[in-house]
Amino acid sequence: MTTAQAPSELQTSASREAGPLQVLTDARHLAVRAIRESVRQPGVEITNVFIPLFFLAVSTGAIANFSERGFGVENYLAFQLPVAVLQAVAGSSAASGIAIVLDMERGYFDKLLLTPASRWSLIIGRVWADAVRAIFFATIMLVAALVAGSGMATGVPGAILILIIAGLFGGAYSGIGIFIAMRTGNAQAAQAGFLLFFPLLFMAPAFAPLAVFDDWLRIIATINPVTYIMEGMRGLVMEGYAWPVTEGGQIVFGPDGLPLTKDPPALHWAFVSLAGFSAFTLTIAALALRSRTRAD
Amino acid sequence: MSSRPSTIAERLIDDLSARAPQHSRDADLAIEAHGLVKHFGDIHAVNGIDLRVRPGQVFGFLGQNGSGKTTTVRMLTTLLRPTDGTARVAGFDVLNQDRQVRRAVGVALQEAGLDILQTGRELLRLQSRLYNVPRGEIEDRIAHLLEVVDLTDDADRRIGGYSGGMQRRLDLASALVHSPPIIFLDEPTTGLDPVSRQNLWEYIQRLNREDGVTFFLTTQYLEEADQLCDEIAILDAGEIVQQGTPDGLKATVSVDVIYVQVEGDEQAQQRAVSALLPLPNVEDAQWDYNEGVAIYSKSGHDTLPRVVRTLDDESLPFSNLRLARATLDDVFFKATGHRIEPADQTAPTTGGGAG
Repeated sequence: MTTAQAPSELQTSASREAGPLQVLTDARHLAVRAIRESVRQPGVEITNVFIPLFFLAVSTGAIANFSERGFGVENYLAFQLPVAVLQAVAGSSAASGIAIVLDMERGYFDKLLLTPASRWSLIIGRVWADAVRAIFFATIMLVAALVAGSGMATGVPGAILILIIAGLFGGAYSGIGIFIAMRTGNAQAAQAGFLLFFPLLFMAPAFAPLAVFDDWLRIIATINPVTYIMEGMRGLVMEGYAWPVTEGGQIVFGPDGLPLTKDPPALHWAFVSLAGFSAFTLTIAALALRSRTRAD
Repeated sequence: MSSRPSTIAERLIDDLSARAPQHSRDADLAIEAHGLVKHFGDIHAVNGIDLRVRPGQVFGFLGQNGSGKTTTVRMLTTLLRPTDGTARVAGFDVLNQDRQVRRAVGVALQEAGLDILQTGRELLRLQSRLYNVPRGEIEDRIAHLLEVVDLTDDADRRIGGYSGGMQRRLDLASALVHSPPIIFLDEPTTGLDPVSRQNLWEYIQRLNREDGVTFFLTTQYLEEADQLCDEIAILDAGEIVQQGTPDGLKATVSVDVIYVQVEGDEQAQQRAVSALLPLPNVEDAQWDYNEGVAIYSKSGHDTLPRVVRTLDDESLPFSNLRLARATLDDVFFKATGHRIEPADQTAPTTGGGAG
């Protein structure tokens, strides 16, 4: 990892053997192993299905009857669907941190570090596996909500977009667990990675639209990236596509300097937020891995 | 970079040696370390270790728990950055060419590091892929290794169901997937039953003899070091206190050792030691809790009656007087001031100023 100082001759031989392709190949093998790990302990994964479905059911049961009168949401099940998806995804991705700590405790992490595989492939493999698992759990939430009558305004393409967003969110969220695992090597701390999800999810328009929030909560929600990810998915479920308004191939900007969009929450902000969120989580994860494998 | 070379010839030589491939400098050494140091805060785990291990050697690190064996192995295998000093393994610098080092070595650490949810075969397969074993060779290689470590029948069971011995064998196999020329084994037989231990010894010897594999192994078993190693370094409190071939080491201890149990408290023991030390031919006398007083003598038969007489004169009652040839145990005791205590026996010891 200090190739910058290595003679050029070594650098070329190292990059030939450990180029980005090799990193991805190694990451894929590690991702397959991580997914196998989940498949072989379904008991651990069942909570990732049960808890969000439970919340979906009780929140809809409690609020659906007055949501229209209360804040103008007619189809509260559809309103809640993105929350269930994000909750399931965060739950499953947080488990990666714990899995890494277990690997450390069992000495398997050392065994992986002893292979010539790039350190980055250890992270990318986990992120990759979490993205796949995220899509799996998001599919269960989608199917359950559709069966219960949530509807899907954008049809199959919209559902696929939701799964893509879920996968990206899962990969991004996995960075938090990896960061905690690398930093602490402690299973309890890694477990707490899931708790971070509560402020992220509930300081966002999870139960009601932003418009009815108290000022303090609305301000927090406005800077919370999950707000935009949630709203983007919600638009796909409830209203339709909301890409920026364009005129002659040019994005039209509103008076506030932001791209003008149609009524539903703007989908592109979901992707912008995802990019920012994952850049942050994966950077801290990478830095934590680096300091762990370098210093010790 | 000290002073600038003055003559053209000197500059040419300087230039040539700077451009020569780095591994050629010590091509004949498998493992080389200079002044290796590792501190964890205030804990000085390794305090300046120099190593020269030739290819094809079986080199043993003999020491108790906490003597710095594992820390040294972790530095040599790129898992830990040394606080100070340099090391080259297979001709590669452990700091700047860590990936090349990892490719050249196989490592089985003290605790079998395994993933209990995979099967033995899956673990070896993943390991092979991460080591870039050519795809077409992977399955054959795995089948061969499973046979070698006697796990063929259990290959498709999950590792979580393996016994401790099976896990160690699988761990060893996983260190061999890429046929490395240098293998590090950190306490390979700790916790193994005698039969498995014997099998592992034979396998190490075979790999060494037939394939010329270099071994660097740590152990707290004297018998293991004696049986397997061409060269042994005795490690105590992070330093090498004695090094040589097993026979050479034994020769450093006087030919004979007289053991005697002196009755009484520690003061009585110390009195006995002080009285015995000046006897002719006696090179050293030490006391420890388990073995009693050990008297190292160039001529045991001459010294034995004098020991009896001296203890009588000092009015120190004693028992269990015996004469023995020096063993590695005695070498270790003489070098470190304490007897080696494998982890599974935790009898109290005294003596020895191991910080």
